Amino acid sequence: MYQYLIRRTFGALVVMFAVATLVFIMLRLVPGDPIAAMLYDVGDPAAIEEIRRNLGLDRPIYVQYGIWLGNALQGDFGNSIYGSRVEVSRLLLEALPRTLSIASISFVVAIVIAIPAGLIAATRRNTGADYAVTLIAFIGLSMPDFWLAILLIIVFAANLHWLPAIGYVPLSEGFWPWFSHLILPSIAVGTAFSAIVARMIRSSMLEVLNMDYMRVARSKGLSEMTLVWSHAFPNALIPVVTVIGIAFALLMSGAVVVENVFAIKGLGRLLIQGILNRDYPVVQGAILVVSAIFVFSNLLVDVLYSFIDPRIRYGS
Amino acid sequence: MTNKTLDELSLAQRAELEKELGEAYDFDPKDPMFGLSKDELSGPDMSRRAVLRLMAAGGTLTAMNMLPLAAGFGDVQAASGGVLTCGWSGVGQIVTLDPARIDQVVQFQITSNVLSGLMHINPDLVGEGDLTESWEVNGDGTEYLFTLRKGVTFHNGDKFDADDVLFTYNRSKDSTKSIHSRVLNNVNSVEKVNDLQVRFKLAKPQASFLTKTLERSSGRAMTIVSRNALEKMGTAQFGLTPVGTGPFKIVEHQLGQGVVMEKFENYYDPSRPKLDKVIIKPISDPEPLAAAMESGDIQLIGGNPLAPELIDRFTANPDMVVNEVTGPGFQSIWINPWHEHMKVADFNKPVSELMKEKGFMVRLAFAKAMDRERYLKLAQFGHGTPAFGTINPAMGFYYDKGLEKTSTQTFDVKEAQRLMAEAGYPGGKGFPELRLATTPSGRRESTVVADILRKNLGVKIQVEAKEWSVNVEEFDSMRWDLRRSGSGGDFDPDDAIVDWMQTESKFNGRKRDKSKMPFGYFSDREADDLISQQSTEADPVKRKALVQKANKITSDKVASIFLFHPADILVYHKRVNFPKQSRIPGLVDLDRVTMS
Amino acid sequence: MTKYATVLGISDEGAPVDRKSGFFTAIRKDKKASFGLIMLSVFVFFALFASWVSPHDPTAMDFDMMLPPSWEFPLGTDDLGRDLLSRIIHGTQISLFVGVTTVVIALVLGLIMGVAAGYFGGWIDMVIMRYIDLLWAFPNFIIAVYLVAVFGAGLLNVIVAISLAFLDDFARIARSMVLIIKEEQYISAARVSGASDFRIMWRHILPNAAAPIIVQATVCVSYAILGEATLSFLGLGVESETPTWGLILADGRSFISRAWWLGIFPGVAIMLTVLSINFLGDGLRDYLDVREVKDV
Repeated sequence: MYQYLIRRTFGALVVMFAVATLVFIMLRLVPGDPIAAMLYDVGDPAAIEEIRRNLGLDRPIYVQYGIWLGNALQGDFGNSIYGSRVEVSRLLLEALPRTLSIASISFVVAIVIAIPAGLIAATRRNTGADYAVTLIAFIGLSMPDFWLAILLIIVFAANLHWLPAIGYVPLSEGFWPWFSHLILPSIAVGTAFSAIVARMIRSSMLEVLNMDYMRVARSKGLSEMTLVWSHAFPNALIPVVTVIGIAFALLMSGAVVVENVFAIKGLGRLLIQGILNRDYPVVQGAILVVSAIFVFSNLLVDVLYSFIDPRIRYGS
Repeated sequence: MTNKTLDELSLAQRAELEKELGEAYDFDPKDPMFGLSKDELSGPDMSRRAVLRLMAAGGTLTAMNMLPLAAGFGDVQAASGGVLTCGWSGVGQIVTLDPARIDQVVQFQITSNVLSGLMHINPDLVGEGDLTESWEVNGDGTEYLFTLRKGVTFHNGDKFDADDVLFTYNRSKDSTKSIHSRVLNNVNSVEKVNDLQVRFKLAKPQASFLTKTLERSSGRAMTIVSRNALEKMGTAQFGLTPVGTGPFKIVEHQLGQGVVMEKFENYYDPSRPKLDKVIIKPISDPEPLAAAMESGDIQLIGGNPLAPELIDRFTANPDMVVNEVTGPGFQSIWINPWHEHMKVADFNKPVSELMKEKGFMVRLAFAKAMDRERYLKLAQFGHGTPAFGTINPAMGFYYDKGLEKTSTQTFDVKEAQRLMAEAGYPGGKGFPELRLATTPSGRRESTVVADILRKNLGVKIQVEAKEWSVNVEEFDSMRWDLRRSGSGGDFDPDDAIVDWMQTESKFNGRKRDKSKMPFGYFSDREADDLISQQSTEADPVKRKALVQKANKITSDKVASIFLFHPADILVYHKRVNFPKQSRIPGLVDLDRVTMS
Repeated sequence: MTKYATVLGISDEGAPVDRKSGFFTAIRKDKKASFGLIMLSVFVFFALFASWVSPHDPTAMDFDMMLPPSWEFPLGTDDLGRDLLSRIIHGTQISLFVGVTTVVIALVLGLIMGVAAGYFGGWIDMVIMRYIDLLWAFPNFIIAVYLVAVFGAGLLNVIVAISLAFLDDFARIARSMVLIIKEEQYISAARVSGASDFRIMWRHILPNAAAPIIVQATVCVSYAILGEATLSFLGLGVESETPTWGLILADGRSFISRAWWLGIFPGVAIMLTVLSINFLGDGLRDYLDVREVKDV
């Protein structure tokens, strides 16, 4: 098993740097000169050239890459091209907690809704409750997340004034301010995910409930309750673990859009602004961080899985 | 609610204004002292009459500056204290606040609260010393001796003295350190006389020296910075949290998060500022901005011009005040003269000659087909005034009101269609599809432009919204058919016609392939000469003639399809008392603002 | 996005199961799927006959701005005086076009890659799988955003971007299918009888793999439509005269407080389209009796 894990970890690292390299190359090859745009009003070609030289953007591309890579390994992602040349690592450190807050609360909200919903649907199969849950899940899956975000803002912020419309407040300023700013974004992001998980649990539970060993357990006289909770449910959860892997994908994509609508300066927003401003160091750093999180959360899922799946556990 | 300031004047007030204006321009232009005595030009303060004279001589006098204080909004003075949260519109991050590097309105608005200049023209148009107590001018207007204010401290506790003035001067004069070095071209030297006195030596008498160059808000070059702080923090950090002597000090600035300013306890004027704290949040998209304002998260909007769709929305809201004045700027549709079907290879002919060329006929047809009123109604919700040149109404004296009727660009659909037909494209048939380049935020209004031209001329125009950096590059290289852009913050004719209308103007196709394109989007020798002349012309009446002649040439020869002059809009919650004296178009001075 | 392989119930004879005849009856019985089919047909109809069905020209700014829904303008007008109903009807064209083409491209390319990897194994497999892993390092949508933001907006770029982002799903399924089926008896039997590699792939493997791929395709169409709408909303989408729903929503965002119809109807259109595809897909999955197995 350890061999498997080591192999996977190494593979993950390789993937990450391949991604970063690809991004580096593609960004530079694309039209749009950030420095000229930045100093548009100044209009002095000499000044533009000088700034470009200061930032090392006049060196050949492989030299730039080498420098960047070397620095990155030491945790230095360079400075933002745009403006005050703040360290990219600082920008990332400021943005990361925001996106993680959204993602984690979305995750919790989604799971908290999905598990009971899926269970109800499975245990009361083909009744009104089942139909209702299924229908709501479908609708949740089909709604564009940005649309849901806009609707939520209109209803809860603009009209009812229950919750703030935009922005982010760090946890250090109190739990409720932090949380209240994250409720609407999390609902917008988590709904689709919640729908998927609910349906997965439902079908997974249905399968398990029908299996042979369940009939055996029933014939032994165990109550339905015990059956559901101690036998069916844990087994039904196994395929759901795979979903956690893609949870991150969904939640990150959702976060990008939702950060736009709610004007939260998270990773998604940083990434898009960086791309649009051709702010190379920022985009590099953001993509590295995003892929790092993704790759390693997948790794984590695989690790969890390796403990469950006997084939991997004992080597194949 | 909205209040349009100029309209509020009574007849008597208007007459008074005219009288003052006349007096201001009543002097001999050859006089190095501009018709003022040595005493009148010297400190500790300059009379309103003197300031008006200087502004007239410097060409920066407009009716806007002269509005009486009585016609009021926000006269109620509430108690001091309170926290004002502002939203800065249309900007994602306030990139730098280092005066040597700032070039955007969104930045000036903040630094004018944090930094001081040597002079300040107060709302009554009385010239006061900001960091000076008094000053003296010599007999021929070339030497100024300033006695600096005692007991002024920087935000970090350092004492302010002559060395700081020298340091700031040297820094700003160095073109590798400051982008505003050009402003000090007329200053030969600055010497320290003693700890509290400095002497400026000018090359030539300059009317705008006291009223613009050294002024707190508009003179970027001489806003005093703390040399200690710069050395200690380094330029990057100083750019984020500059240390000055202004009424507010910056306590926090996270890129992309906004700026937090607090009352500077040791400001030299103990009655200012009134607010305890000001928070400035950049909010780039209009929707979150509106939501924040409506929910009370923010109480004032500054920054870039407000998206027009929000103006009516706020006006309809009884809790908000919307203050609209003519803005300083212009917006155009630029036509590429090197495009095969709109080609004009040489503008140096009289208009009657140009009219015989197919390319020019098309160009003029487009300009004449541009229904500016409809554009303003659809795209700007009625805010703004139609434009026929770069000289905007906020420039007062220099603005040509009659150009609307006399220009060749006057709206005339029938004539436009006739021109297109004569050029060989009746009803737009046979004319290729054009691309209208703009930024994503300009997409909506560009769609309106395309629709107008389609309806009136039958030409197909595809709107292409590209990111700012790509846009800029393509514009500079002349790789476009039509482009939608313009200029803002133009208070002086130089800001507009020098930057845009000359062959060598910095925006005029700098990066083009010079072998294929001898000039960028426009080039006319007569206009070039006139513009260069007006720049150094001291006599305002003569200058006005030069400016208006050049402006007419650019209009008649369709240097671009001039579209409109945007309005300058300030929006704030009715709880906020924004005294009229602080209302300078383009700036957001908060030292006298209070909240009830 | 469900990234798991699916297995078709393979009958005892080992030959592909023919269920074509029972399809429409099965759908008719499934309420959700019938609703989906009908709804989708309506949208397809709109897409095909947009110009005839629309009451007005979708780009004509001839009417008063922001009129509420009325008889003349059933869904109201937008901030530039255009009829919203006509715009939404025309919007089906791009949405469906993008949805279908991206999936077709992703499917074809993904199939080729997946089948090649699974069938040939060895270094071809490794190279292809490394590439798939690379794509896996990214949430699909971020790949699309990045590609469009870098290469510019425009119909072609949007389609390419979304196809590339969804490519890996099909490749993985195809590969897993091939690996499973490779073990089956009748492949060996076919090889013994001398059939070429390509023939084997074409006649034996592909038909069996068809079912889960069809199901995955419906899932992908719905995500592609949502993806295009999101890209348009962010300003990275299609640039053309024809409005797309995401663009209508983005344009109307500032005016929603005064004109609620601008924020509701385009979103409802997107939702209904995606919903009907999801219902249909679900019905298809039930019909084909596709069960879920974790990735091989």
